[in-house]
Amino acid sequence: MNRKWPLRALIAVGVLIPIAAPVVLHSRPYIMHIAIVAYFYAILASSWSLLAGQAGQFSFGHMAFMGIGAYTTGILGRFIRLTTAATRTCAEIPLGKVWLVFISPANEGCLELGKQNMPVGTVIRRLPVVSSVIGGILMGGIFGLLIGVLVLRLRRTYLALFTIGFSEILRIAINAEIDLTNGPNGLELAPLFPQGIQLFGLSFDATDKVPPYYIMLALFLASMALMHWLAGSRFGLFIRSIREDEEAASALGVHIVRYKVLVFVITGMIAAAAGAVEAHYIGVITPNILLIMQMSLVIAMAVIGGLESLVGAAIGAIIIEFALEFLRTSFTIGGIEIDMTTWRLVFFGLLLMLTLRFWNNGLFYPIIQRLTRAGVVEETVAKRLAAVEEQG
Amino acid sequence: MIELDINNVKKNFGGLQALNGVTFKVRGPELIGLIGPNGAGKTTLTNILDGVYQPSSGTVYLNGKRIDALPPYRVAQAGLGRTFQVTRAFRRMTVLENLMVPAMAMHPAARQKDFLDRAMEVLEFLTIEHLSNEYGRGLSGGQQKLLELGRLLMLDPDIIILDEPFAGVHPKLMEIIYEYITTVNEQGKAFIIISHDMDTIFTLSKRLLVLHFGDLIADGDPKVVRHDPAVIEAYLGEEEEEAGPAMVETYLGKDKADA
Repeated sequence: MNRKWPLRALIAVGVLIPIAAPVVLHSRPYIMHIAIVAYFYAILASSWSLLAGQAGQFSFGHMAFMGIGAYTTGILGRFIRLTTAATRTCAEIPLGKVWLVFISPANEGCLELGKQNMPVGTVIRRLPVVSSVIGGILMGGIFGLLIGVLVLRLRRTYLALFTIGFSEILRIAINAEIDLTNGPNGLELAPLFPQGIQLFGLSFDATDKVPPYYIMLALFLASMALMHWLAGSRFGLFIRSIREDEEAASALGVHIVRYKVLVFVITGMIAAAAGAVEAHYIGVITPNILLIMQMSLVIAMAVIGGLESLVGAAIGAIIIEFALEFLRTSFTIGGIEIDMTTWRLVFFGLLLMLTLRFWNNGLFYPIIQRLTRAGVVEETVAKRLAAVEEQG
Repeated sequence: MIELDINNVKKNFGGLQALNGVTFKVRGPELIGLIGPNGAGKTTLTNILDGVYQPSSGTVYLNGKRIDALPPYRVAQAGLGRTFQVTRAFRRMTVLENLMVPAMAMHPAARQKDFLDRAMEVLEFLTIEHLSNEYGRGLSGGQQKLLELGRLLMLDPDIIILDEPFAGVHPKLMEIIYEYITTVNEQGKAFIIISHDMDTIFTLSKRLLVLHFGDLIADGDPKVVRHDPAVIEAYLGEEEEEAGPAMVETYLGKDKADA
């Protein structure tokens, strides 16, 4: 019997339940919101698991890639317009019948000025959300390439310190560049579906939770499928060999540079995609998304779920996000009020410490291993006994 | 025809001269032993051949291709494989995955299942086929050494450098490693074996190189090298007559002719 069938059955259930969930949860926007944020963290935790757990690149810069995706799509949405006539006052590029107009942060009034010269009936539109999201993903890949090249010779502590530095520099730069990013006041973004959308024969407006739920779920499932395929391919084999021993892997013909850079590019793009979609869903982003505490949360989710397992890290993220939200409710014991908005983080910290101390493979990875490697030990013993009998 | 040409290779680490103009050639499937006291430059030489270090001067050619400026993965793809003094199995990967790494690196268009049969053959040859699905960390030290040898068979290089293959190995596994070397050598692969196990290295190798403080002080038939005054002085610090046959036997092993 195929020993992987219990796992496959669980995966099927794990995919079908989230797809069907809005049927019963669509009238409970708070739960829908938690689920969307949970998928967002699941994408980040699982892609960080590919980077740190499988490739051994213990980076603290993963949320920076998420921020790059979010801010790129926000900036593109803020400063780029598509018009059906030239403004003659802004920088612009003709693209067939439309013009790609760049509004300079130093001259934001150029479009208003240009409108006076534009013919009546000229259409002015923001860049479609999907285009700016793609821009964000590409920018995540470019920064992934840059960081991947810069950290090639760095390992462990030095890599961690470098990526903390990168993340902090980015956060401070976003804070400082008020003209471009609106600094600490936050950058507003258009909703994912500004005009609403028809889905399953139903109409949803721009603020409805169901469309962004499915968008984030689709992104989560697509990224999991991509990473699962990569982990099982030569790419996965090589990055795991690099994690184990770079020198030995290289001596066996593995192009270390190529695969180390590639894993930064791929995980950087996935994190950027999550950031871009989340930014459009929330509608506003601030530099606080790059705080080291946010990165610590993603790391903790992956560690508790199982650092070396994409599925374990994703499950860890989803469960912890729901738990952190549900534990917000304060209660009273013997006249003493327990403020759970603070204490939930203490419980979370304790869970992380206990996991690291007693279950350093995470809470879910060992279960996944039991399902995928069921019978391996028995098989090995049986083969060994058969070999001994044959010899003797 | 396997051709390895090491020409006047020097390597400095700051003020330390680790290799001082080493020159030798390998022609065909030779079985070469490389010995020398600690600090002689054996591992430095191996790291230069493998591409981990670049020589300060001198050249290395493998089958007519210059390899001394290539990174290790290109050297491996050019046909030179090695093991390490301390076993370096991929501990959190299964035995089969360990074998697939070099196979996939050498065949960019292949799929893993294309090499499954070959991997099982290799494991059977090394008598560890029952461990195919075990993680590297679950293997004993000796079994991990066998796994390293298996990875080299999947890499399929022309020249194999083994760094201390017999160190800390159970006699039964030592027999398997010994058979591995002789069989693979008969199949046309050249070996350079670094070992402090003098009895084995003198018995196994057909040619012996001796390094001492970065100089190649002897290169020839093991029986002749064993009595080379420069070699005896390198190991004992005195000449053969002064040291006596017992001391020579202690440091350079038993003479095959005497045995």
